[in-house]
Amino acid sequence: MSHLKSIRLIAGREIAERLKGRATWIMTGITTVIAVVLIVGPTLFSSPPKPYVVGLVGPSAQALGPALQATGKAAGVDMTTMNVADDSTARSELTPAQSSGRSSRLLGQLLPSLQGGKATLDVALRLDTGSATVEFYQTVSPTLAAILRAVVEQVHQRDVLIQGGVPASVAAAAQQPEPISTVTVQPASSNLAGRRIAALAAGILLYVSVGLFGSAVASGVAQEKTSRTAEVLLAAVTPSDLMTGKVVGIGLVGFAQMAATIGAALIANAVVQSSSVPSEVWVLLPAILLWFALGYTLYAFGYAAAGAMVARQEEVQSVSAPFSVFLVGGFLLTYAGIASPDALWFKIVSYLPPLMPVLMPARLAVGNVAIWEMPLAILIMLASIYGMARLAGRIYATSLVRGGPRLSWVAALRRR
Amino acid sequence: MLKISELYQRFGERIAVDKLSLTVEKGELVGLVGRNGAGKTTTMRAVMGILQPLGGSITWSGHPVGLSDRLRFGYMPEERGLYPQMRVLSQIAYFARLHGVEPRAATSQAQQWLIRLGLEGREQDRVVALSHGNQQRVQLAVALAYQPALLVLDEPFAGLDPSAVDSLSEVLRAETSRGTSVLFSSHQLDLVERLCDRIVILEQGRVLADGTLDELRARMPRRLRVRVATSADWTASLAGVEVISKDPQGVLLAVAPGMDTQAVLRLAMAAGQVEQFGFESGGLVELYRQLVGQ
Repeated sequence: MSHLKSIRLIAGREIAERLKGRATWIMTGITTVIAVVLIVGPTLFSSPPKPYVVGLVGPSAQALGPALQATGKAAGVDMTTMNVADDSTARSELTPAQSSGRSSRLLGQLLPSLQGGKATLDVALRLDTGSATVEFYQTVSPTLAAILRAVVEQVHQRDVLIQGGVPASVAAAAQQPEPISTVTVQPASSNLAGRRIAALAAGILLYVSVGLFGSAVASGVAQEKTSRTAEVLLAAVTPSDLMTGKVVGIGLVGFAQMAATIGAALIANAVVQSSSVPSEVWVLLPAILLWFALGYTLYAFGYAAAGAMVARQEEVQSVSAPFSVFLVGGFLLTYAGIASPDALWFKIVSYLPPLMPVLMPARLAVGNVAIWEMPLAILIMLASIYGMARLAGRIYATSLVRGGPRLSWVAALRRR
Repeated sequence: MLKISELYQRFGERIAVDKLSLTVEKGELVGLVGRNGAGKTTTMRAVMGILQPLGGSITWSGHPVGLSDRLRFGYMPEERGLYPQMRVLSQIAYFARLHGVEPRAATSQAQQWLIRLGLEGREQDRVVALSHGNQQRVQLAVALAYQPALLVLDEPFAGLDPSAVDSLSEVLRAETSRGTSVLFSSHQLDLVERLCDRIVILEQGRVLADGTLDELRARMPRRLRVRVATSADWTASLAGVEVISKDPQGVLLAVAPGMDTQAVLRLAMAAGQVEQFGFESGGLVELYRQLVGQ
């Protein structure tokens, strides 16, 4: 039987058994639900920002309505005005509606939105001769306060000018500012914050998924070893075919699980048009999937060798600890690196093969990968995978049917 | 024909197999016996390619055994090896497919063996849910489901109840009559004696004896049992005769070549009424004990 056929059969069994198992479906379900909730949740549970409502008490203040709205619009603040008859009405409109009961009142103070909703007015403005009063419930937006102050001062200045004999048209012209033009010396790179979030998201996704499916390989190999199934298998297939089949089978299931989660997230995003996910994350998708495939393959061979070295299933985690350290290290370096993505050290460590699967997509996300770097990185990765497969194959072949206590990595590498 | 020549394997300082040679002819059932650590499992694992011996050669039909030959070898390891969570039928069919059987034939072969081994109705059970004996039957079905030319079975009878032993014996006999060569190991010497065409006794990695039961017997001194109705120790006057045992059933004497048994009979008759006087054909258990000195 050809090597390809053996690998296909072994991978096929892995896929079939994993798809039959409840764990695969439960995990896919949980990750899909989490992804969808993270996207849909913010849109579903957050209400769109409401405009500020300014209560204008008395005719003097009410005359300022158009000026307030114009200034608010110019300042980019969404606000409306509402005429209020007197102070007591204004005060009651400023106070959020509350239900009776001591505990409810306390809760109402803590979470007014839960207790009878928002007040009708955010702020009330009253103009008297020579003075102006701004009244609010507990706090007021500084922007809104500044707009109110500017408009009140403008009116006051105009009145003073007119009282001093300046014609009304001149007074009005004096208050029309010259148009201000703006010049940007160094434009900010487009949506850097979004790109950093995308880099972190890619880092988490790759670190978690490579670690998760790599561990599945180690557990699967350890199970074949400890149940002595490996001995029956090796009578029919070569160790390298057995190892490759396992890596391919679990990898394909992992790839499908990731694709299902990402697919569900894309659909959810299209439906709710969520603004909480930076668009850079979606643009990165092909790169994430490519680096998952490369990173998983590199690590999975190592995890397979680790699984073959154990004497008992419980030892899998401790034997494969070095891989977890590299993956966590990759993620921590991503976190540190995206703060200064152009730093030389970040570029250098992103070429270390065990860190590459996490760091390269992160660098791509923050947009500092030159066009020639990608093929170079992929070539280095392919060469590393080849080297790892050879090394792991040697350990796997000598350790899989060996009895006795668990081997150390050094001892396993020395064995022939 | 399987031919093992000068097989040598060492684990650290311990020599597991020391220039061991044996053959299994087509359709022959050969039993490997020996105490724990005698080299039985190492020999079988070397045949199956699970370990690479440090010396010697293993050939099948005259050429070194390769992977394509091993696809036609059925193997049952000492410590059973099955996927615990996989269902019985699909597990047997899977191993048959790994040995090159087409999908449909693999399933039908698996089904047939389950019926033949008394596991009908358990096809969809997970292996872990079966009893030890039934798991053993599944393991055997795994080894048989691709019509192997050679069966290598390490302790196939261990832990089986008498009816399972009988049905496995029948299966092995049927397989050899089909032309399958069988090499199996066992500590159940009565079974080996009853079942095998040839017996190979291993001791410290070497072949201590190899032959049919009669051939092995011929290598050993004949044994004479004499029972005399007397309380006196008449054997004291037997000069140069080794007394193997004395009990109420009489005395057991080792008959050296050229010994005058008539003189022994005369001495016995002089001592009293001779109730029994005859040669004993020792079973494998006695032979084994004599050979390995236990």
